[in-house]
Amino acid sequence: MPLQYHSLAQRLFHHRSTRITSEGVQFLLFTLAIGIAAINTGNNLFYLLLAMMLSLILISGIVAEHCLRRLEFHRHLPDHLIVNEPTTATLVVKNRKSQFPSFSLKLFDLSDGRELDRGLEIRELLPGASRLVSYPLVATRRGRLQLDGICVGTEFPFGLFMKQTFYPIEETVIVFPEIKPIDERLLQGLLTSGPEQSVHRRGSGNDLYNLRLYQAGDDSRKIHWPTTARTSQLTVRETEAEDQRRAIVYLPTVAPVSHDALFEQAVSLTASIIQHLAQHGYILQLVVGSSRSSFGQGDHHLFELLRMLALCERRSPHAEPVVSGKPPGDPMEVEGGTMIVVQSWLGPADIEPEHPTILIDEAVIAGVSHAV
Amino acid sequence: MPFDQALRFASIWLASTSFIGLTLGAGLPEWLAALTGAALIVALLRNGEGKFVERLGTFTPISATGWNLLVIVGFLGFWVDMLWVSGELLPAGLHFLMILMIIKLFNLKLRRDYLHLYAISLVAILASGSLTTDLWYLPIFLLYLLAGVWTLLLFQLTKHPEENRMPTMSATMRAQSRASVSRVTPQLFWLANGLALATFGLTLAIFFTIPRVSAGFYQKGLGENVRTSGFSETVNLGEIGPIKRDPTVVMRVELSDGSRYEAGRLYLRGVGFDQYDGKAWTNRLSYRRVVSEDATGTFVLRGSRSPAPPRLGETIRQNILLEPLDTPVLFAAPLIERVSGKFPSVQVDLTGSVYLPFPSSSRIEYSVLSRSNPVLPTDLSSEPSLYPESFTRHFLQIPAQSERIAGLAKEITHAQRSTYDKANAIQSFLTHNFRYSLDAPLAELDNPLEEFLFSRKTGYCEHYATAMVIMLRTIGIPARLVTGFLATEWNEYGNYYLVRQQDAHAWVEVHLPHSGWITMDPTPPSIEGGGSSSPAWHALGRMMDTIRLQWSRFFVQYSAADQLAVMRELKAESTSARNKALDSMSALFGPFIAMFSGIMEYAYKGTIQSLAEVLGPALIGLGVLLWLGIKRPWVKGMVSKKTTRDEQVIVQLYEKMVKHLAVKGISKPITTGPLEFVRIAQAKWSDANSAVASITELYCRARFGQIPPTREQLSLAEDHLRYLVALDKP
Repeated sequence: MPLQYHSLAQRLFHHRSTRITSEGVQFLLFTLAIGIAAINTGNNLFYLLLAMMLSLILISGIVAEHCLRRLEFHRHLPDHLIVNEPTTATLVVKNRKSQFPSFSLKLFDLSDGRELDRGLEIRELLPGASRLVSYPLVATRRGRLQLDGICVGTEFPFGLFMKQTFYPIEETVIVFPEIKPIDERLLQGLLTSGPEQSVHRRGSGNDLYNLRLYQAGDDSRKIHWPTTARTSQLTVRETEAEDQRRAIVYLPTVAPVSHDALFEQAVSLTASIIQHLAQHGYILQLVVGSSRSSFGQGDHHLFELLRMLALCERRSPHAEPVVSGKPPGDPMEVEGGTMIVVQSWLGPADIEPEHPTILIDEAVIAGVSHAV
Repeated sequence: MPFDQALRFASIWLASTSFIGLTLGAGLPEWLAALTGAALIVALLRNGEGKFVERLGTFTPISATGWNLLVIVGFLGFWVDMLWVSGELLPAGLHFLMILMIIKLFNLKLRRDYLHLYAISLVAILASGSLTTDLWYLPIFLLYLLAGVWTLLLFQLTKHPEENRMPTMSATMRAQSRASVSRVTPQLFWLANGLALATFGLTLAIFFTIPRVSAGFYQKGLGENVRTSGFSETVNLGEIGPIKRDPTVVMRVELSDGSRYEAGRLYLRGVGFDQYDGKAWTNRLSYRRVVSEDATGTFVLRGSRSPAPPRLGETIRQNILLEPLDTPVLFAAPLIERVSGKFPSVQVDLTGSVYLPFPSSSRIEYSVLSRSNPVLPTDLSSEPSLYPESFTRHFLQIPAQSERIAGLAKEITHAQRSTYDKANAIQSFLTHNFRYSLDAPLAELDNPLEEFLFSRKTGYCEHYATAMVIMLRTIGIPARLVTGFLATEWNEYGNYYLVRQQDAHAWVEVHLPHSGWITMDPTPPSIEGGGSSSPAWHALGRMMDTIRLQWSRFFVQYSAADQLAVMRELKAESTSARNKALDSMSALFGPFIAMFSGIMEYAYKGTIQSLAEVLGPALIGLGVLLWLGIKRPWVKGMVSKKTTRDEQVIVQLYEKMVKHLAVKGISKPITTGPLEFVRIAQAKWSDANSAVASITELYCRARFGQIPPTREQLSLAEDHLRYLVALDKP
């Protein structure tokens, strides 16, 4: 049965690696010395010692293999990460062996073929038992963070070798750009510009907007008890948003290679502005290069916009020479809101400025960036 | 016991084992052995608990620099020892090793200190292996193996990622860290011992299979040879006496059929002597000739090479394991015909004594075929005959003052006619009229033989044998004195004779005209010694000796030749086993083969329908077996058995939910998955969505994700189900 044979061979040899520890090197040197002494003298008691040391090496390999077999891993990651913001990731390790415990397990995350040591170690995992370990996860780059799986190693039983095996658990997490507090002048510019447009919509306010049936996830404090009592059905009240503003944030993606760092700064600044505006109840639209989102509000919409920023890529001016302070598309669509443009490159004349250029309703707010 | 404490304990245990091994093997100076022993005891006490122990643990008489200086002083001492005191590298090195061990025992702080101690103990056990082949090495080795497994295991388990920072940690931090470490659980205890057992099993397997490349380019004799006496060219009368009280084992003799020697006492002949000067025996026929070796590696001394008809007499095949003695004599039952063993050469003198070129410094094993001369009927009646002068010069020689002895001999034998009868009469006279005693200080007297025969009438084998030889010679019968061993101690556990120094013996060889040299022994059985200890103690001693012999055979002397012999044996057995297996298989599968032949016959005849009737069920059966082999449904059953109680609860809740929804008109088709069913339920009954989604999520996690729900989640799911049941469907 070639299929089973393949599976067996894969199980035995694939994803296995063995590294000799410093103690192991010393042990092997002693073994070699005793071997030479045994051959040289023909003394059988030397052969006995040599056999003992060789059997310790063999037992070491067999026991380590048993330690690493039949483990099960479940990783729990948040839906998204933010650059340089620590998040807690959890890992559930289960020993599915019925008899043999696993000892001294060292766990590594494997991302892009690199082992990331999180300092995770489980000293003893009894048969059938599971252990939850958590560790801080910090992403340093926006985009997609690809985690290939878990690399688990053990030096058990004798610390002579570090035997490792790989358990594939592929997972991808979107890493949002870094969000920092924004500059006071920019905050002033945002407050003073743009027409305020009030629309009737749900939001945080005091006036009643609607009554509807309770759904899972609703805040129990919003249950409208009089109606609930009258209709015998859980009913919640929805309020009307009081302060409504609209804004369009535009991030041009065309910039030369020399402006790569500045582009990343611009992406981070855009994310910070969006975050700030969303917190203040703005209805937001984001235009990144040629991609455009719809107007929207709320956490879900905010995450959509941050996701766009997380995945956007700088494009070379050769591929797209046009750089303008206005978003592409129908001009009518941009009406009715504050227009904020975050530019990392103004054109061929722009020689590496310190900060991205910000235009609010076409007025340049010079020299602003993050507050810190 | 916490890991750290257990590690210290195991490390000291490891060091102690190697120290005991070295002390037993090398005979360390008393002061050094006492000092090392004291250091081990102190180290052990420091590992204990209690106020005194804590004070002892924190008490450090010398600073780190002081210890380093001590190492340097110890190294200088090693050179002084090697050049002037011991004068040899090995003893000086071992003394230095013990000094290093003492220093390390007082300095067990960092992990590298532990590693140094392990390295020292390994070298010590290695050195002890080079200095001994005794049985005590086996328990020491087993203890070392057990301690080694424990030590390595605990050393690994106490390895922390922050270990490198440990030295810089404060005492309180270290104490906190120590308090937080794990303890040796019963599970770990049995695991470690199981690993030690497995390691021992594997060690034996590797030991016996690892190829022995050669006997060694450099092999040193182990210790001193056993000092014996009575086997040199000149032996003073009474020389054997002192060793008659020595219980040291000198050889073990196994007879070919594995049973005791039925014919009587088993004499192991050593050296024959022809000349007696009144005080000492001398072998003047000590000229040795080298015996040639035949194609099979056997040294043939006499007998079968000549075309003469086969000799009469009883043959004895012996396998002898001779301890290293200070004599090159090879002992065996008289008279030796063939010797085989791993010898460079074998020599024989004119009295029939067999020698190696030089005394062996290690234990040797050899096989001998001996054939005794029977007393031929013609000699029972024949009178003493005439011998050539060259013969009589040696075997009829008597010391000057022997008239009185001659008179006694004539008086005893005057009624006998034949040579054999005369010899028997003298033997009988000595056996019955004299008393055996080892307390017979006759050697200092001027004429010890006359003193023995006429005054004291007390003596031991040498006196009896000497008296008989001289008496025989005075009446013209050629005789000679022979020294060797008389094997009497039968080891019933190992089926061999155990021969000790105290079995050293002297007896007489009498020459009969037609029969040749025959063995006669005038010494009466000894009634001395051996009565003080109980038979049980003797039995235990024999049992221990059997173990010692097996240890020597299978471990100390195991060689490439043994490996080859084992291989041949295995090959022969596997051939035999294969034949047996083939026979059994053919018996077992005979009916099936007959059926298969029938099928083939049918096929040949073209009866396809019949063929299908037979082959169909067979193929179906084969298919079922194949399916079972691939799918392994029992594995699935085993997995489901392992589901926890919480997993079962959520599965039951989910089933109840599905039933309830079916009652409400939302049935779940078999082809619909749980998540898809949630969407269907939501579309048909939106109020039930939250409860259905929540229960389904937990169910999916437990059922497919193997993540059992917590008690809180189960409680919440039960609430959801109650809510669902209470909910009215619009």
